[in-house]
Amino acid sequence: MLLPKFQYHEPSSLAEACRMMAELGGGVRPIAGGTDLVVNMRRGAVAPEHVVSLGRIKELCAMDLSGRTLRIGACCTVASLAESSDLASQFHALHEGALSLGSPLVRNLATAGGNMVTARPAADLPPPLMAYGGTVILQSSQGQRFVPLDQFFVGPGRTVMKPPEILTSIVIETPSAFSGSSYIKLGTRRALEISIVSVASFLTLERPGGRIQSARIVLGSVAPVPMRAGDAEKTLIGEIPNGPLFVKAGETAAGESKPIDDHRGTAEYRREMVSVLTRKTLHTALERANASE
Amino acid sequence: MKKTIHMTVNHKPLELEVEPNQTLLEVIRETLCLTGTKAGCLVGDCGACTVLVDGKPVNSCLMLAVQADGKQVATIEGVETPQGLHPLQTAFVDKGAIQCGYCTPGMILSAKGLLDRNPRADETEIRQAISGNLCRCTGYQKIVEAILFASRTSP
Repeated sequence: MLLPKFQYHEPSSLAEACRMMAELGGGVRPIAGGTDLVVNMRRGAVAPEHVVSLGRIKELCAMDLSGRTLRIGACCTVASLAESSDLASQFHALHEGALSLGSPLVRNLATAGGNMVTARPAADLPPPLMAYGGTVILQSSQGQRFVPLDQFFVGPGRTVMKPPEILTSIVIETPSAFSGSSYIKLGTRRALEISIVSVASFLTLERPGGRIQSARIVLGSVAPVPMRAGDAEKTLIGEIPNGPLFVKAGETAAGESKPIDDHRGTAEYRREMVSVLTRKTLHTALERANASE
Repeated sequence: MKKTIHMTVNHKPLELEVEPNQTLLEVIRETLCLTGTKAGCLVGDCGACTVLVDGKPVNSCLMLAVQADGKQVATIEGVETPQGLHPLQTAFVDKGAIQCGYCTPGMILSAKGLLDRNPRADETEIRQAISGNLCRCTGYQKIVEAILFASRTSP
């Protein structure tokens, strides 16, 4: 069975891509890795008149760490994130998120930007990126705007992006000293899985062995969008990290989550697992914070 | 409207006219008649359509043929060397890693993608590398043994 017919455009610069997105109007879809768009076209869920490929725009395909800022181009493949030594050494939760997405075959095609704009509640990169306080950069022929990921997702499959806008990159800051992070995805198998619950945690200590200075906990698959567990974060700030504190944070996060029953799991089970995964990711983040410089 | 693309398939440079809505899998099987690459789920879940693009294993059902413009593509038909079967192919035969054979081309290309980068891959790396390729016959054990054998005996 063939995919629906469309016209294909391959701009070589971002300016040209922005112009095409604006001129081609409502029936246009950008394509990067295609792992969502091609599947959705195959299933008949979408049939765009025009497809604009972003894959040949060099500036969208680069990842660079300059100073304290890591800029991930929208078209960087998830495999390139999983293989990045910068991520493996400084951004553990993001590295773990990239390694748990899809399969090696999918990771060689799927892109970081694609995992943002498709806005699936179970997506693997948004929770870690939000745990680092990430921001996305959106570009159109009208200009550029920066949107914190906290405010980017609106609902399943929906973001604050306006149709002609292109997500060009995701920006995160290198964690300050004595920080650690961790991401755990819970599924029934370890590859090609859509998570039942996922949690990313990030901690910064005053000093190794010291009090918690800042904390971010982000929950996936338990609400229409990846969500911060703000009350759980508050229970941690200013405290000496220990087992009972992390149990309390886990229970608070479970209370804040808004899971539903579906074929992958019940709301009750998900809430319980939020508690467990929050506790586990906090323990790992703490170990990493204590080991960091 | 058709697009002209240039891609190298199994070391042979080709110029092709393709429709934008044709996947790389469709062009490989139907235009080039290289039917060793299998069509399975068509949505990136099963790995039967695995080919190497610039050395990396991908689901060819998820890639538009126009996206392969300028790329090097390797299919199972290009794995054999002038000296005969590739060591991975020999290992699959010798270790009984083939039953119905439908997953085999994809398995071998995922394995080749790994061993080309990491010739001494261990069992964990091998299991991870083939985690996007489903096999309903073997239970995977003999496939892992075959790849491990090829990894241990590669020159």
